[in-house]
Amino acid sequence: MRTFKQMLPLLAAIVALQLIFRFGGPYFWIDGFHWWPGIETFWGPENQIDIVQQVSVNAIIAFGMTLVILIGGIDLSVGALLALVGTTTVYVLAAGNFEAGDSALLSWTLLALGFVAALGMAAAFTAFNCLDVVRSRGARGWLMAVLFVWTLGYVLAGGFPGVHGAMRLAAAILAGVGIAAAFGAFNGVAAAKTPMPPFIITLATMLIARGCALSYNKGLPMRIPDEETVFLTLGNGRLFGVVPVPVIVMLTLFAVAAVLLHRTRFGQHLYAMGGNREAARFTGIPLVRTGIAVYVICSLLTAVAGMIHTSQLYSAEPGSGEMFELNAIAAVVVGGTSFTGGKGTMFGTLIGAIIIGILDKGLNQAGVHYSLQYIVKGSVILAAVYLDVRRRR
Amino acid sequence: MIEAPAGEAPLLTLHGVTKRFGGVTALDNVDFDLRRGEIHALLGENGAGKSTLIKVLGGIHVPERGTIRIDGRATHIRSVADADRHGIRIIHQELSLAPNLSVAENIYLGREPTRLGWLSRRAMFHKAEALAASLGLDEIRDVRALVSHLSIAHQQLVEIARALSCRARILVLDEPTSALSETETEALFTTLHRLRSQGVGIIYISHRLEEIIRLADRITVLRDGRSIGTQSISDVDQRKLVRWMVGREIVDHFHRPGYTPGEVALEVKNLTAPAVHDVSFRLHYGEVLGIAGLVGSGRSELARAIFGIDRIRGGSVEIDGETVRIDNPRDALRAGIVLVPEDRTREGLVMPQSVAFNAALPWMKDWISGVVVHSGKRREIVRRAVDSFSIRLSDPVQPVDSLSGGNQQKVLVGRWMEHRPKVLILDEPTRGVDVGAREEMFNIIGSLVESGMAVLLISSDLAEVLNTSHRVAVYRDGRILQTAPADEITAEQVMEQLTGAEIHENV
Repeated sequence: MRTFKQMLPLLAAIVALQLIFRFGGPYFWIDGFHWWPGIETFWGPENQIDIVQQVSVNAIIAFGMTLVILIGGIDLSVGALLALVGTTTVYVLAAGNFEAGDSALLSWTLLALGFVAALGMAAAFTAFNCLDVVRSRGARGWLMAVLFVWTLGYVLAGGFPGVHGAMRLAAAILAGVGIAAAFGAFNGVAAAKTPMPPFIITLATMLIARGCALSYNKGLPMRIPDEETVFLTLGNGRLFGVVPVPVIVMLTLFAVAAVLLHRTRFGQHLYAMGGNREAARFTGIPLVRTGIAVYVICSLLTAVAGMIHTSQLYSAEPGSGEMFELNAIAAVVVGGTSFTGGKGTMFGTLIGAIIIGILDKGLNQAGVHYSLQYIVKGSVILAAVYLDVRRRR
Repeated sequence: MIEAPAGEAPLLTLHGVTKRFGGVTALDNVDFDLRRGEIHALLGENGAGKSTLIKVLGGIHVPERGTIRIDGRATHIRSVADADRHGIRIIHQELSLAPNLSVAENIYLGREPTRLGWLSRRAMFHKAEALAASLGLDEIRDVRALVSHLSIAHQQLVEIARALSCRARILVLDEPTSALSETETEALFTTLHRLRSQGVGIIYISHRLEEIIRLADRITVLRDGRSIGTQSISDVDQRKLVRWMVGREIVDHFHRPGYTPGEVALEVKNLTAPAVHDVSFRLHYGEVLGIAGLVGSGRSELARAIFGIDRIRGGSVEIDGETVRIDNPRDALRAGIVLVPEDRTREGLVMPQSVAFNAALPWMKDWISGVVVHSGKRREIVRRAVDSFSIRLSDPVQPVDSLSGGNQQKVLVGRWMEHRPKVLILDEPTRGVDVGAREEMFNIIGSLVESGMAVLLISSDLAEVLNTSHRVAVYRDGRILQTAPADEITAEQVMEQLTGAEIHENV
């Protein structure tokens, strides 16, 4: 109930934006006051569905970003990683029809390492949560070794011609998810185990990921083969011809992320870590393990967003995803998550993403020049955060 | 600088100064005076009110009652700027220099000499050199050197130069020698003597009695926020000072739990860790072992090492006679060791969160299984923690920082009682805790001890250590000097060992 009360101003903001874009409002220009009439079709069902669909990619990234910001971190690499996930996935999907430069090969090495890290994490999690069997260090090592050999074989097989259909799709998805896990694990280990600030770490990995992405197909868009209908459905399909698949994915992931944050020990750890890292240490919370997991989860969510985005474009664009990290951060912050960590909710982030989505769509349809769109968006973010900070004080 | 004609009013006079924090009286009717060209030592245990007195002088705290006179004129010091204007400069234990600027830049920080609005580095270097020469601070003659390249001792001289560059007339030094070697201390004393002869009034705070006896002209002892008296240094000796410092009349609010020691609960053998050197001791079930040590003696580091925060370099920790490997706090908690840290705000509580969040935090396993949150169990855990230490609050979901210091501390200790630990380590459990809450807390801990818990009590409050522990270990420079039953050792003996003549070793 208390959280709902805190969300009221945000929900009010959504209603206000919907009303303004539908019925218009006054505005001021050099020659005096004017009335902007609004957009008559703004409340059309198709238009509203469109808004939610366009929100999906940003919202999914923002769910992960919420966790990162909650522990006092930041992940700037998500935009570039989104592009790299797209290119890697389509590269495998198209069975090497596109050229991959040296940097791309570098990313494949990272990918192999990433699998170890991600699966090691999974193993650690299992060990942490319930299975006492894999708690001993030796057993965990064996498990990782087996998983490593298996995945490496599997992925390499997927990358070569001669594997078709579902197998190829699985390999492609695994490759995309794997590269994201690799970057996430690297970000996480660097942030949790070294004193480097996460801002700088992820700024660096952003450049590295972008470089890897741009080396595919000389930086040009890579078209998804037409026969990959399943993959194309991910971004463009509609359930019962109404609900877009990305929206379903987003809502599912929202539920998962919200449960993870609000109903598990892991989530409690994040609040404790972000609120007071030293105090968390003194209550025996595993800071390193949790920190790494957070960055990996953020990257994995970015991978999902990257596949949806790629599918929506019908091609992987090495240069895509720019400013996505900033949009995600904006959604998180507008949603009321404290930038110093320790405070925030998943629901807030969802609402934050929707607010930014409505704003984007509305300004677009109103025919506002895109230069002015940036200015309006910047002002709205400033106002939202200022009001939030003032309310909390 | 200042010529003092005979018979003029003292440089600084405090009369009847009183300062309260909530229910705690930090300064109670304190009288104090400082003459020109005098080194006046301020002495007292931790919590006696020395730092509050300094903060009153520095304009950080404003006293509720009492008058402050400077040159005989009544004044108010309401802000740091006020203190500056009156020429009061405080050099804190933690130096406040910008490490990546030069000596000269630090001396003139915020008052940089300019030329037509532009920073004139050359003028600044010249002025700084002249200043260093006039003060006789040859050690910092190279005013272009980066402060981070200087030793702590020389950094301190930079602070002193900075203070005197803006015509400080009253210089307050808080434990200046705690990080200095013997030769560096000598050099500092020479500087202070020279400043004294230039007419500066110096207030000098230290635990080290032999230093004070050598350096000071007069001495004032504070105890429990009251000034016990001021004496000329020729009238006192070390023994007398010790008696003054610890001789407290009220010891009856301490209650030592009954003593029926059981098996050995915790045995530490030759433990070596950062700032801990080869420490060994045994702690039995049903026993309180007090660690009596001053600030900076490495006593908190001992606790941190046992709890797995600092890395253990050598030696072993045994619980119930079995060696346990402690790499992190989780290992320690699993072995049944709990540490309630020294700094409540920094290391203890998650401040933006509620009392309930903090109280239930260590026991998540009991109220979250998978994705199922048992709110009922959580409420029970919080209620038990609140009840067991009679924490006074209006609502468990109120923010924990809205509680008083005493109640915050009770949350911090009480939450661990859900699953009773074998060994409870309390590091300065009563810092900033009022007498009532302190008594209450020790009564509860006492009954836990009587029912078999082992407690390691670390405190710089000697009365507290001696009157609540069964045995006392005197701890200094990372070593245990002596362990004795608490009723066979007096506060004077402990204080003498803690402050007595020093054997400087490479630490």
